[in-house]
Amino acid sequence: MWSYLARRLLYSIPVYLGIILIMMGALRIRDPVSAYLGKNATAETAALKKASMGLDRPFLPIAVESKDDPFGVEPLAQVGRVGLYAPMKTQYFEFLSRIVRLDFGSAEKPYRSWQFESEDVGAKLADAVWPTLKITIPTLVLTAGIAILVGLLSAAMRGSAIDRTLMVLVVLGMSISVVVFIVLGQVFGSSWLNGKLGFELFASNGYEPGIGNWVRYCALPVIIGVVVGMGYDARFYRAVMVEETGRDYITTAIAKGAPRSKVIFAHMLKNAMIPVITRVMITIPFLITGSIVMEYQFRIPGMGKLLIDAIINKDFPLIQTFTAVLAGLFILTNILTDVLYALVDPRVRLA
Amino acid sequence: MMKRAHLAHRVVAVVAVVMGWVAGLAAAGAEQPRGEGVAEKFARLPIRADGPKSLDPAKGSTVYDNQVICQFYETLLQNKYLVRPASITGYEDVSEPLLLAEMPKVTDSPNGRQVWRFKLRDDAVFHDDACFPGGKGRKVVSEDVFYSWRRLADPAYEYENYWLLQDTIVGLDEYKEAQAALVKAGGGGKAFDYAAPVEGFTKISDSEFEVVLTKPVVRFGWVLSMFQTSIVAREAVEKYGDTLGKHPVGTGPFVLKDEADWKPGQNLVMHRNPKYREAFYPSEATPKEKEQGLLGAAGKRLPFLDRVELVFYTPDPVMWQDFQDRKIAYTQVPAEYFEQAFVKRTQKLNKEYSDKGVQAEAVPLLDFIFRGFNMEDPLLGGYDEKRTKLRQALCLAVDLEEQNDTFYNGINTVYDGPIPPPLDGYPKGGKAPVSFRGQNLRKARQLLAEAGYPEGKGLPEIDYYTSKGGNQAEQTQFEIRQFEQIGVKLNPKMVDFSELIEAINDKKAQMFGFAWGTDYPDPENNLALFYSKNKAPGANHYNYDRPEFDAMYEQIIVMKPGAERTKIIEKMRDMVIADAPFIGSMARTRFYLAQPWLKNFKPSEDFYNWFKYLDVAEAK
Amino acid sequence: MRGIVRRFQARRGVGKFLRNRLAVGALGIIVLYVLGGAWVALGDVLPGRAGVTYAEVEQPVWPAAVPGLGIPATNERRVEAMRIITREVKRAVNNGEGLSDIRYGQLRLLPRAAESEPEVERLSGLVEEAEELYDQLAEFEDLNNPTGPKTEGSAPGEAAIDVPATIAELERAVHQMFAPLSAWQSVKQSMLLSLGTDRQGRSTALRAVFSIKVALQVGIVVSIISVLVGTLLGAAAAYFGGWVDHAVVWLYSTLSSMPELILLAVLVYAFSGSVFDRVANPWLALVPVYAAMCMEFWIGPCRVIRGETMKLKELEYVQAATAIGFGRFYILLRHVIPNTVHLMFINFSLLFIAAIKFEVVLSFLGLGVKVGPSWGRMIQESTQEVINGNFWQIGAATAFMFVLVLAFNIVSDALQDAFDPKHVG
Repeated sequence: MWSYLARRLLYSIPVYLGIILIMMGALRIRDPVSAYLGKNATAETAALKKASMGLDRPFLPIAVESKDDPFGVEPLAQVGRVGLYAPMKTQYFEFLSRIVRLDFGSAEKPYRSWQFESEDVGAKLADAVWPTLKITIPTLVLTAGIAILVGLLSAAMRGSAIDRTLMVLVVLGMSISVVVFIVLGQVFGSSWLNGKLGFELFASNGYEPGIGNWVRYCALPVIIGVVVGMGYDARFYRAVMVEETGRDYITTAIAKGAPRSKVIFAHMLKNAMIPVITRVMITIPFLITGSIVMEYQFRIPGMGKLLIDAIINKDFPLIQTFTAVLAGLFILTNILTDVLYALVDPRVRLA
Repeated sequence: MMKRAHLAHRVVAVVAVVMGWVAGLAAAGAEQPRGEGVAEKFARLPIRADGPKSLDPAKGSTVYDNQVICQFYETLLQNKYLVRPASITGYEDVSEPLLLAEMPKVTDSPNGRQVWRFKLRDDAVFHDDACFPGGKGRKVVSEDVFYSWRRLADPAYEYENYWLLQDTIVGLDEYKEAQAALVKAGGGGKAFDYAAPVEGFTKISDSEFEVVLTKPVVRFGWVLSMFQTSIVAREAVEKYGDTLGKHPVGTGPFVLKDEADWKPGQNLVMHRNPKYREAFYPSEATPKEKEQGLLGAAGKRLPFLDRVELVFYTPDPVMWQDFQDRKIAYTQVPAEYFEQAFVKRTQKLNKEYSDKGVQAEAVPLLDFIFRGFNMEDPLLGGYDEKRTKLRQALCLAVDLEEQNDTFYNGINTVYDGPIPPPLDGYPKGGKAPVSFRGQNLRKARQLLAEAGYPEGKGLPEIDYYTSKGGNQAEQTQFEIRQFEQIGVKLNPKMVDFSELIEAINDKKAQMFGFAWGTDYPDPENNLALFYSKNKAPGANHYNYDRPEFDAMYEQIIVMKPGAERTKIIEKMRDMVIADAPFIGSMARTRFYLAQPWLKNFKPSEDFYNWFKYLDVAEAK
Repeated sequence: MRGIVRRFQARRGVGKFLRNRLAVGALGIIVLYVLGGAWVALGDVLPGRAGVTYAEVEQPVWPAAVPGLGIPATNERRVEAMRIITREVKRAVNNGEGLSDIRYGQLRLLPRAAESEPEVERLSGLVEEAEELYDQLAEFEDLNNPTGPKTEGSAPGEAAIDVPATIAELERAVHQMFAPLSAWQSVKQSMLLSLGTDRQGRSTALRAVFSIKVALQVGIVVSIISVLVGTLLGAAAAYFGGWVDHAVVWLYSTLSSMPELILLAVLVYAFSGSVFDRVANPWLALVPVYAAMCMEFWIGPCRVIRGETMKLKELEYVQAATAIGFGRFYILLRHVIPNTVHLMFINFSLLFIAAIKFEVVLSFLGLGVKVGPSWGRMIQESTQEVINGNFWQIGAATAFMFVLVLAFNIVSDALQDAFDPKHVG
């Protein structure tokens, strides 16, 4: 298994570098400086801003210098307009070195975000993780839990009115766009409900730290997330369990006189768990991205909202760091999932 | 194993526990009813944006920076809160001393220069802060004023706001160039020398000083009340360096007790400055203002609120809803919600709201909303007859009044020319002697034909850049429809605001939808938009270039406001209307709603330091 | 090609599918949608005579926002609508032209070339009448709750003003300004107003129907490309093995390491403001959206087909064909892929649903469809209306989308039951 792990990790390095390169390149297609110039800017101000953003340096060690926009650093060697630059002075490698050192801002060597001029990128990211987790973890747990229950119930009472009703409800949740739930949720789940109750149960937006505030700010997004996400999982689990119910050993057990509940909980559940667990583990990487739409609409300062705001405001340091961290986590959790899968299901061999 | 009954009991028990826990959390987080057991006066006020980017006056540029910075920092002059004149000729009509003991004394020197003599108050002190010895704020002295203004010339702040003092104070421009050279040679920001002399800064004593202007620049009087020239303490800058942006140390009525009180993108909590000097609520008001009860606090000491939470709202519906839920003390009324509170026909509060005691205020803004043309564009730009007629035809095709009706509930002011009411040069009734304001389809079609494109034939698509967001998409569709009526095709490019600016600055945008908010109530600020030296990337987005206009502009920026100056301004205005570098214009009227328990509420968007006048009635 | 179709029809699954009446019904609904979308698309080909063009869908059919299903609007709204119409007609009459440009949906002031002196006289008269009536109503603060001396006629010598009657008279006067509608035009107008109008007066019903075309466009383009690319790559990877397999697996591992919304946001940002924002060619306008969706969506079919191909590879007839000496490409195309067609269909329908839902979210955030209506944009525009209690736009958009997605869900379930009975989930 260790060789598998090592091989996967090694495999991932060029992938990771490629992602960073593509993403940084895509960002630099358009010039972000204009967005940061005030109303009465002059060419002078623009040049100074560009230098302070570090954009007057070449992107890669081999770069072409344009005549009316020279770089702020000297090349090591130059042929015509093509120059060779010290890697550490280029934008790409400088950023890579930050990733390697995991240095995204500290008191002595700040790495400032462009939108929040006095904040370090690292600090902003760290602040954003917890709010996201406060939403994604409960959503994941509740979705999995409720979906399993619903699937179980449906499978156990297959064909009955309850089964049909549950499936209809579940498909309803799947067929209505999440944005509709968000809009209606904010209007009915919050304003209207608060009016009826006389106090504020769910806030329509905003966030305050602290466990006591969880219900107020996070419960509504979690509820919406569960309603929307439960559909696929519930049907899947139902199918899994239906298949299990068809197995011979179940028929045998019932024929021998074991009570149905014992059969369900003691036998079926355990065997059905394998595909269920695999399925749950596949969704773990999404804990990190959270629901960007949800956070944005509910103004919860999590990773998703932070990223969207950064993209809108062209805050390169934040976008780059965020993507680098996120992609890294994604790759690692994917590898972890494969390994756990192998551990859980003895039939699977790691390639 | 378990019997079914026991299983059911277990499930019920677990569910009950979970619900109880959830209910407990809900109760813990539930809001305290307002006014219960709270002796301090608290208000929650909205800021309709993500918030300020920085709390450092030298780096602030947007309205939102202004809104927050001026609570912590103060300028030499401020706008009067009450008694706002209907037409403005000079800064004396509108300003009163804030950090000064009296209005400045201005004398003209025989060599063309102008000397301004200032006297500071002797009780103006900085906030208590760790940057001062013993943590106690000290008195403001003349050197502080010079220091704060020198910062604008420091390349470390990227000259964000230097334009305010450009070409104004004797020796300042040279100082800036000299320091820039030193800094570049020194390879770091520390080389900027704040002690080097500037000829125009003359210190007489700790509380008196003189500033000498190169010529009688009219703008200078206005600059004295603009937040970028707020007085900053040298100790704070030296201690906090580039984190000064989140650690304001000013002289203002509010303080930021803790850097953590500002959560960017969320909110900012500020507290009353316990060491604020004696400043009092104005005692003069117009009869109408007296009627509104705005003199109730006359002569009382400011500020009234102990704690203020500024909440940053990006989506409007959320701000509106919070006002309905009575969480914020006042709100701007976004156009979409106008009809919820007002009767569109009469523009007055409807019965439901007025019964609740909600206050309403209409604030006309110093707006110049236009669709600009790039005068350097080969197709549309140029001063020859053909192209000018083309632009005039395009102006005549647009129905600004219908646009006003549809998207702004008819509350905006539509007018000719680039000067909004109530500034000097605003044409009477909004109508200038020669106007190409639409909608006159017949004339538009005629001019279009004369320009060589009968019924729009032969005219390629025009690239029209606008920003996204709000109802811009609908407005753009609306405009496309109007142009189609004369056969002109628009190619809309809806882009992010930053890209819009980029396209305009790169001179790529043939036609663009934009607006200008007047920085200070002098028509010169709007006419500067057509001054050739301000071409892109400056504020002259149209790249308008007319030597006659430039000459007149250079004249009026140093003329004393009066009848003669007004005449020249009107000439400039008419020239610009005839050349039609833009289709315009509109000025918005912003409506505000306030809770019945908010007192002394008379909002303005010309200045923002009026939070100190607000008060809340005691718990209902 | 015919061989593939014949083989498809011969499969037992087809019969099983057709016996599932619910699925067939859902398929019928999908066909209805496709027909609807096709009809709308005719507007690109035959503008003015058939279908709906972008210009037409953005035209106001009434000067103000009204509810649907014939529910009368509030008094204030009605008066406002009359005021706007009166103002427009008055201005056209004064300008001496533009009378034929005034239209609301099927209502036209005058057919072109019918402007004549007596007509203009008649209109002037009606305008005056309307303005008089409007002045009478102008005294009231709030026509929705008219109160005050005017209703009671307490001022001496003044009769009470019956607000509802006056408004009805105003509407009648204004209505007479328009040319009478034929029966068919009447029907069309009421269809346009059937689901109400939005703030600009555009027909919600028409926009919801127009959005079908947009949704289908996105769904079809994305699904077809993703399925084709995924199938080819997956089959090739499994069949040829070796470095081909490694390359394909590496490719989809890399791409799935980037959360899709982020990849999309970065792409959209990089491409925005460029040539893709042209409205002239609505198909091209969505290319960044298609690109980003396809980049993520092809992975699903690829994995499935790869798995299936690995199984097929071992089957006897494939091995026989190899033994006989048929070329590998030939075997791949003629024997292997056709046996995965059922999976292609299943994936197509699953991706279609995903594409539509994704497009709605994107348009809602402002990143997707930028010009012209789409369900996502309608929902986004309706956020403000909903707070005012106006659910027509969000209701229409949600309902239209819901039915389509539901139908596709049912169909894809039935397909899976019929063709892949061993599947789970």
